[in-house]
Amino acid sequence: MKTFSLYVPRDSLIHRINPIDKILYTITAIAVPLILPSMAASFLCMLISLSLLAAARVVRQSLPVFAFVFLILCTVVLIQGWFYPGNQTPLFGVEPFVFHAEGLMKACRIGIRVTNVVAAFLLLVLTTKPADLVEELVRRGLSPRIGYVLDSIFQILPQMMNTTRTILDAQRSRGLETEGSLWVRVKAFLPLIVPVVMSSLIHAKERALALEVRGLHFEGQRTWLREKRTYPYSREIRGGLLLVLTASIVWRILG
Amino acid sequence: MSRVVVKDVCFSYRSGEEVLKGITLDFDEKSTAIIGQNGAGKTTFVKLLKGLLKPTRGEIYILGRSANEMTAAALAPFIGLVFQNPNDQIFRSTVLEEVMFGPLNIGEDPKGARKKAEEALEMVGLTEKASENPHDLRLSEKKLVCVASIVAMEPEILILDEPTIAQDHAGMAAIRQVIRRFKEQGKLVMGILHDMDFAAENFERVVVFHQGTVVADDDPREVFSRESLLQRAGLEVPHITRLGWSLGRKETFLTEAELIQSLRGEGSTDR
Amino acid sequence: MSKIRVEHLKYRYPSSEKLALDDLSFEVDEGEMIGIIGRNGAGKSTLCQAFVGLVPHFYRGAYGGKVVVSGLEVLKSSVSQLARRVGIVFQNPFTQVTGSKWTVYEEVAFGLENLGVPRKEMIDRIDYALQLLGMEKYRDRHPFDLSGGQMQRMAIASVIALQPEILVLDEPTSQLDPQGSEEVFRAVHRLREEGMTVILAEHNMEKIARYCNRVMLLDGGKIIDFASPASVFSRADLTRYGVVPPVYTRVCRELNAKREGSPHFPVTLEEACEVLKGR
Repeated sequence: MKTFSLYVPRDSLIHRINPIDKILYTITAIAVPLILPSMAASFLCMLISLSLLAAARVVRQSLPVFAFVFLILCTVVLIQGWFYPGNQTPLFGVEPFVFHAEGLMKACRIGIRVTNVVAAFLLLVLTTKPADLVEELVRRGLSPRIGYVLDSIFQILPQMMNTTRTILDAQRSRGLETEGSLWVRVKAFLPLIVPVVMSSLIHAKERALALEVRGLHFEGQRTWLREKRTYPYSREIRGGLLLVLTASIVWRILG
Repeated sequence: MSRVVVKDVCFSYRSGEEVLKGITLDFDEKSTAIIGQNGAGKTTFVKLLKGLLKPTRGEIYILGRSANEMTAAALAPFIGLVFQNPNDQIFRSTVLEEVMFGPLNIGEDPKGARKKAEEALEMVGLTEKASENPHDLRLSEKKLVCVASIVAMEPEILILDEPTIAQDHAGMAAIRQVIRRFKEQGKLVMGILHDMDFAAENFERVVVFHQGTVVADDDPREVFSRESLLQRAGLEVPHITRLGWSLGRKETFLTEAELIQSLRGEGSTDR
Repeated sequence: MSKIRVEHLKYRYPSSEKLALDDLSFEVDEGEMIGIIGRNGAGKSTLCQAFVGLVPHFYRGAYGGKVVVSGLEVLKSSVSQLARRVGIVFQNPFTQVTGSKWTVYEEVAFGLENLGVPRKEMIDRIDYALQLLGMEKYRDRHPFDLSGGQMQRMAIASVIALQPEILVLDEPTSQLDPQGSEEVFRAVHRLREEGMTVILAEHNMEKIARYCNRVMLLDGGKIIDFASPASVFSRADLTRYGVVPPVYTRVCRELNAKREGSPHFPVTLEEACEVLKGR
């Protein structure tokens, strides 16, 4: 079954943590470097996020994302190194492409921050089953309808991509050229997009009927097939994160 | 003369999972029903003929041209495929324009395309709906619009993928009419079908797919007399055939008329 | 006791000027299996959806008359309330999959969770429904990985788990291959043996004749006839309503072979054999 979820099933402590705690962690890991602009704080957060990824044994799965981020960071290094307005101390290079210490420092700071944010997000996304997260949120009062939409996105989107492929086939069968010059592609747009939209609407309507008769809009108390799960260290994690957040705010104010 | 030649064709969507396992078939102008369970490889097979998929091994020739080297759009003037789900193609705001789309794509001028579209709509009995918005039609009518949209391209070979689904009596009659016209013009028409009665009645040849191979290929009377083979392929004998056998007849009847004639013939000697 | 009571039901879709259902009145008893036939557009699907409250609650539109299903008046009940009394299965197996569950077992649980059925009872009901539909062996499969026939049986199981007293099937097998279709009909037959009241809209007249005890012929939103399959399918004017009787009836009519002591022609294989034997 194709899905858009990046979840990697593993048996690690990180996987067993409450999804909501993981969200809280992600928020903290992103917030702390914002509150404390020092490079050390960013660096520390990044290090923690990366080691948690390692502890969850999902480093390999996160590499493609980091590779992509690294590419973007390379351009940041070039641009900041050469053109950062605060550049004063030339290091090496040929005019006008001379790297400056201030620019490289700035690029380094950006690099650490971005890596930190990406690592914190990956920790959530790679180790959390989307359905578990949604279930926790619904148990905490998120509307079941919104929960359903979040859950179904992961399966319905791939289905829609299948439909799109079929539509492409159907129109090509009627002699529609879809490859070639820009003009050919522009002309092919309408015959492809209209059926995509229309069939999505028809599917959505049919599915809405089927969900309706299975009580999607029932007003009473709902129940769950799965027993409420108990997650380890929830209290400790939340306490710890809160402490870190408060501490950094206090530090910021006092410092 | 061979219209379609299929030589030892294999196909897989994912490596290691062969959907078609070495199909060799040769089609002249004899109308052909392709039957088999869901997942037997029927739709994949016709997509290969239409050039929408390329075989992982083997050769396909459409009217002497190698389909392996042509795009589906380039094959469009020669071979037409009507898809199962009409919502996958309808995009114009009137039925007539929808049906004209194909002919215009293959180089017909607007006047000629209009004429062909009108003829095609007449063939499926939708002349009165020509100026309506196709999205307002019922599923069964939309399916007929799609049939017309391919028929209007006047292909030498016509393939219908499950045309009888959701059709009532009138819709079935329209499909029957299209098949008959193609036969009269000496053109090859193929249909993927789940409706055994319809297959027995309207086609001159039946090919049975099962798990990616062809397990039977003969005239309908021959194929529908092999009950155990059909059962193995997840299929049934036509109702009329079953009735004939249940009445102790040895022959395989394919239409009501045949059985009635047989019953009349023998019945009258009894009296 | 009548399970379904319909009194002067009239209904018009919001976008339409024509009545989709035009003054229908009838009753259905417990344990009956009713076939609804007629050409496309006769009102079959609309009537099916009127039993479960989608007409008028989902579509809105103009509604008159009264539909009472196992004691609940449709107009005054929500679709969710009705879901516990009457279930419906649609034509397209694909769009009935919720898309939010990862196994067949969870998929069947969807309605039960929404309706707040306690967990322990939920499990009993899912097990029962899967077993009844012959789907236990697929319980851990992904819903979208099933064949059409299996998907449709899963849809029925999902509805059966809500323990309705009435099951409405709107062309449930038209997209299935012969074997998938037979699987579904066998499952429905088993439900009937359990005492379920079943409404079936279908184009396959041989199946209608074989499984239904009464047949309703609709045309233009009106009831043309509502009687035994033999009586409805023996009508000489049937094709005028866009319906062709089962092949068995057609053959026997041509040969003028009626059942002994009956004004009607045979409608099933068995009946036709009985009448035509020795010819």
